[in-house]
Amino acid sequence: MSVGAGLAFVILGLSVIAAALAARRARLWRAGQPAKIDWVAGLLAVPKRYLVDVHHVVGRDPSAARMHALAAGGLLGGSGLALLAGLTGSRLVWAATALLFALALAGGLLVGGRRYPRKPARLSGGKFQLLPFALVAYGAGALLVALDAALGHALAPLGWIGLVLAAPGGGWLAFQIGRGPMRHAFAGALHLAAHPRPARFDGVSETALVPLDLGAPRLGVATPADFAWNRLLGFDACIQCGRCETACPAFAAGQPLNPKRLIQDLATAMQPGASNKAYTGSPYPNARPVAGIGGPDLPIVGAGAMIHPDTLWSCTTCRACVEECPMMIEHVDAIMDLRRFQTQELGALPEKAGRPLAELRYADEPGGRALAARTDFAAGLDLPRLREGGHADILLWLGEGAYDLRHGRTLRALVALLKRAGVDFAVLGEEERDCGDLARRLGDEDGFQRLARANVATLARRSFGRILTADPHALHALRNEYRAFGGDYEVIHHSALLDELVAAGRLPVGALAEARVTYHDPCYLGRYNGEIDAPRRLLDRLGVARVEMERSGRRSMCCGGGGGAPVSDIEGDARIPDLRMGQAKATGAGIVAVACPQCSAMLEGVTGERPAVHDLAELVLMAVEAAPVAEAAR
Amino acid sequence: MIANAEALLKPLTIKGLTIRNRVMSTSHAPGYGRDGKPQERYQLYHAEKAKGGIGLTMFGGSSSVAIDSPAAPWNQISVADDSVIPYFQQFAERVHAHGAKLMIQLTHMGRRTKWDTENWFPTLSASARREPASRTIPREMDKHDIRRVVRAFAAAARRCKEGGLDGCEISAAHGHLVDQFWSPSVNQRSDEYGGSLENRMRFGREVLEAMREAAGDDYVIGIRMSGDEMIADGLSHEDCVEIAATYARDGLVDFLNIMGGQARDEMSHAVSLPNMSFPVAPFLFLPSAIKREVEVPVFHAQRVTDLATGARAVAEGHVDMIAMTRAHIADPHLVKKLMEGRDDDIRQCVGAGYCIDRIYVGGDALCLQNAATGREATMPHVVPRAAQARKVVVVGGGPAGLEAARVCAERGHKVVLFEKETAVGGQINIAAKATWREALSGIPRWLYAQVQKKGVDIRLGREASEADILAEAPEVVIIATGGLPQHGHAKGHEHIVTTADVLAGRVQPTGAVLLYDEIGGHNAASTAEVLAKAGCLVEMATHDLQIAQEVGTTNKPVHLRELYKLGVVMSPNMELIEVYPEGNRLIAALRNTMTEAEEERVVDRVVADYGTLPVNALFEALRGASVNDGETDLDALVAGLPQRWSGQKGFALYRVGDAWTGRNIHAALYDSLRLCKDL
Repeated sequence: MSVGAGLAFVILGLSVIAAALAARRARLWRAGQPAKIDWVAGLLAVPKRYLVDVHHVVGRDPSAARMHALAAGGLLGGSGLALLAGLTGSRLVWAATALLFALALAGGLLVGGRRYPRKPARLSGGKFQLLPFALVAYGAGALLVALDAALGHALAPLGWIGLVLAAPGGGWLAFQIGRGPMRHAFAGALHLAAHPRPARFDGVSETALVPLDLGAPRLGVATPADFAWNRLLGFDACIQCGRCETACPAFAAGQPLNPKRLIQDLATAMQPGASNKAYTGSPYPNARPVAGIGGPDLPIVGAGAMIHPDTLWSCTTCRACVEECPMMIEHVDAIMDLRRFQTQELGALPEKAGRPLAELRYADEPGGRALAARTDFAAGLDLPRLREGGHADILLWLGEGAYDLRHGRTLRALVALLKRAGVDFAVLGEEERDCGDLARRLGDEDGFQRLARANVATLARRSFGRILTADPHALHALRNEYRAFGGDYEVIHHSALLDELVAAGRLPVGALAEARVTYHDPCYLGRYNGEIDAPRRLLDRLGVARVEMERSGRRSMCCGGGGGAPVSDIEGDARIPDLRMGQAKATGAGIVAVACPQCSAMLEGVTGERPAVHDLAELVLMAVEAAPVAEAAR
Repeated sequence: MIANAEALLKPLTIKGLTIRNRVMSTSHAPGYGRDGKPQERYQLYHAEKAKGGIGLTMFGGSSSVAIDSPAAPWNQISVADDSVIPYFQQFAERVHAHGAKLMIQLTHMGRRTKWDTENWFPTLSASARREPASRTIPREMDKHDIRRVVRAFAAAARRCKEGGLDGCEISAAHGHLVDQFWSPSVNQRSDEYGGSLENRMRFGREVLEAMREAAGDDYVIGIRMSGDEMIADGLSHEDCVEIAATYARDGLVDFLNIMGGQARDEMSHAVSLPNMSFPVAPFLFLPSAIKREVEVPVFHAQRVTDLATGARAVAEGHVDMIAMTRAHIADPHLVKKLMEGRDDDIRQCVGAGYCIDRIYVGGDALCLQNAATGREATMPHVVPRAAQARKVVVVGGGPAGLEAARVCAERGHKVVLFEKETAVGGQINIAAKATWREALSGIPRWLYAQVQKKGVDIRLGREASEADILAEAPEVVIIATGGLPQHGHAKGHEHIVTTADVLAGRVQPTGAVLLYDEIGGHNAASTAEVLAKAGCLVEMATHDLQIAQEVGTTNKPVHLRELYKLGVVMSPNMELIEVYPEGNRLIAALRNTMTEAEEERVVDRVVADYGTLPVNALFEALRGASVNDGETDLDALVAGLPQRWSGQKGFALYRVGDAWTGRNIHAALYDSLRLCKDL
């Protein structure tokens, strides 16, 4: 038997072992709930999803993209071609095989270069630190075999030495398919085919939460077996690259959340007799003690389980982790499923988060304030009401921020601008209930669905063109999440409408005195709804020097105000808004432009010397008032 | 941001009238009326508050409903005939344009006025009891007088409605005709309008019923009344609660505007308009007590100078609306600033009482610390930016210099401010050392915060030399170096120390002190208080008719009360003619200005207030190099035009405040505002 055939035989054998281990791992997913999957479309879409969508994320770090392309491409291509070469004995094919293994070897060296001499904190250690050695051994060994075969065994002894090197290297890799670093390869590929949110690969904002069937015997997820099976698959796709961890605002603030560890804990928990001891990445900051044990039918959350509740409630639902994940894992969906069980079945919320939910139940408003008081901010402004049977071009959805003194200023500016531009608009007044975003993010699906239905019914009795709101959370609920309850509306954020009005010359603007402005993207507008251009276009129309923060657009950092985090109030080392304001300050801008009541509240709460915080509407009003044609003040 | 701000920013609806927030200004008489009408000046004054975010502004304190309650002595408003209606309409339009509501106060002053004015009619009251404050003995009203005045109130209410005003209140406070009927201290009648409280309430009831009938049930009509007259023979707190509860229960009033005390004499008048010697909101307990007994909204004004106190009063449920009348005179934009999160920029009323004191001597209401108030037609509350930025050097950080620096900075100019002391404030810092006058320090504190915020280059602890100023290459130099206290011209004046020496602590007198006052202002009176409290035996002499003669009616009684309490001997009509030492003591010779009789005092110290003269050395040093020889174009100043030297090569030199000539804080600020707003 030639050394080439030997290599092919080893590869074949290892493939069988890998397949067996993969199958054994996949059996664990069967504990999960059934999921509707379009297998044909999913499988057909895998190449595109892999080469376009995954590469788009991986490519944000070009060196990592290079590394992965070489290692994975070389390894899989070389191995496949080696089988063919072994079968045919063609020296030409062996030459091509050698080339591919040379690439794999280069990839393996890059993997090593990334981890040695010092491993970045976001990368996991343990077996992952052995990965480059296995890759180099397999790549180098197989390269020698292929070269030897291509040259007609001119390197004779080296070929055999190569095989001796390649066999244990490849063997180590194959045996990592079940629980080790290589799991991501097969689980990741399957995850692309059976992804729970396939629409995200079609270029749409696929971010709405799926409504919970309130009649189900168990609401939300208590055990790994309560997850849909393809969610379990998704957890297994994690390669522990730690990109989520560096993006997570709660992690940065020292709150006990690390999205990577969370996904690893979930992946671990699905194994019978699971223990979290094997995890070698960075921990939850200020981790609360947990038993760290689990199993497919054991609770996930709790001090005696795998994940501490504080971890769950630290999340701002900002989706930065999801945005960064090259394996397309949906961390926030997992957190929401877990929260839903905690809230709906156990009533186990952080102390301060229970109160607004109770108020919502009784008053349809999380502060327990009268719905009629929502328009208090506009007293004296003569705000038109949209009554039953009435019509307005624009229905202005005021949102929760209307009760807030600071955001009231924004809304007054917006109302003044709408009036100046002659827009036909109206508000619901005391008929507007809370949109339910807070209830939903805190896991109170029942509360959300009740509010959604009530609001949909209210809106059904009125006629309007578009819904306008200055609250991205309301925008997301109304635009994306009410559809499941029969509410199909065209919802526009005020930044987009103001951009339209300024562009159309309906709001003549002058120059602003403070010219250096940095824009902070609200998560629910940018990442959730993909709107990152309109606010920037609008700012550019005001003639300001727009400067970008280190993190902006779809990769912007959360202010800390989403997902009920301000009421959950999980202690960390720092406050998220302080961190974000630090980034704003670093741009040298005099103004941070915001476009969300949560963002303005969180950023205004930052003490000390800092840029001023102004909503886009306020800036537009300032610019309109600075316009040379402005009518003389009375 | 203050606590409970949301309580203040909540609308209030009275009979379908929605007021946008809980902050208001009560009706008062700023003396801006002309020919009995609220004309442009009056309207702009209130429109500015509307622009500044106020919910409700009430004007026309003591507006007359009948021709025997003359409006002329106050430059006030007469609602006694229809000719006022067009003015109301124009006024309402102006205020409504900014989203605020507008109401008026209607009254018949009864005995609380003069007979020797407009129509020379006798004054009227329930009974013929003299009022000390007005010094008139009224005629007891006949039944036909009662019927006529009731009809007059009704007709006035109709005029308010036709004039587009959002409502009105009647005044039954400060001893006007309606409360003259209520108060047993005045009403001695034995008919159905006197005797029992129910009878004494009858006249007011008839007035309100007639007004309702004339203006309709949907028109907002309220009443301003006391919560306790605080005099032995007057209305007790229980009486006032009963009156309020009865009128409210019977649907006669839609709101109650409660104050404490009455105003029938000098001291009670001063108490009813509390100055800076009083704590903040001293009578809040009165509306609070009445609010517990009624269903209608309760308003209250009386030294609520800051929004935090107002917010607390509303949030805790003591009142439904908080009136910050003098606070709006100091800063008409206070609600706007609160709403914009700029509450640190609010110029807070210090309670000097300058506004109210001026109107009781026939003047117009002006704010000691805001020269734009009442001058809205010519002076800006928000100083606009200049087309061209200039380099301005201001010398002196007293009120005049700070205001000049502030206004120039608002104009967008580059400003350097020199102050030789290590703290700004000038003579205010000295005045504020005198016991209850401490609140004056709020004036420079606000100005200083503003100039810091506006980026003025402030050089403290540096006496500017000619070279320092020229080194800045200024286009404008403003000299605000203030004045220095004088020692007078009496023989032996070198033995005299000044009130400033005492207050600044340069001299600490002991034993017997003669305090001689030639100015009649706060300085000498408050220094006498300081000396007496330090244990000195004090005699205060003045060649005026009275101690603190120039001090206004809400402040003078407080000075006198304190001086009496401290045993200060007060000797008016005495002129200091000579001081000489004898042994280790001083002999002060005084001459009675009426009899010319001379007297001597053996004292340890003679302290005097002769006012100040300008500190002008720097001005004189610079005038030769200036383009204008230090001249100020007075015509341009009055016309609101830039000084004619603008744009010339070199620098123009101006003087403001006491450096021009010693006057008062308002004069200093006005000098600077009107000069700098056009620079």
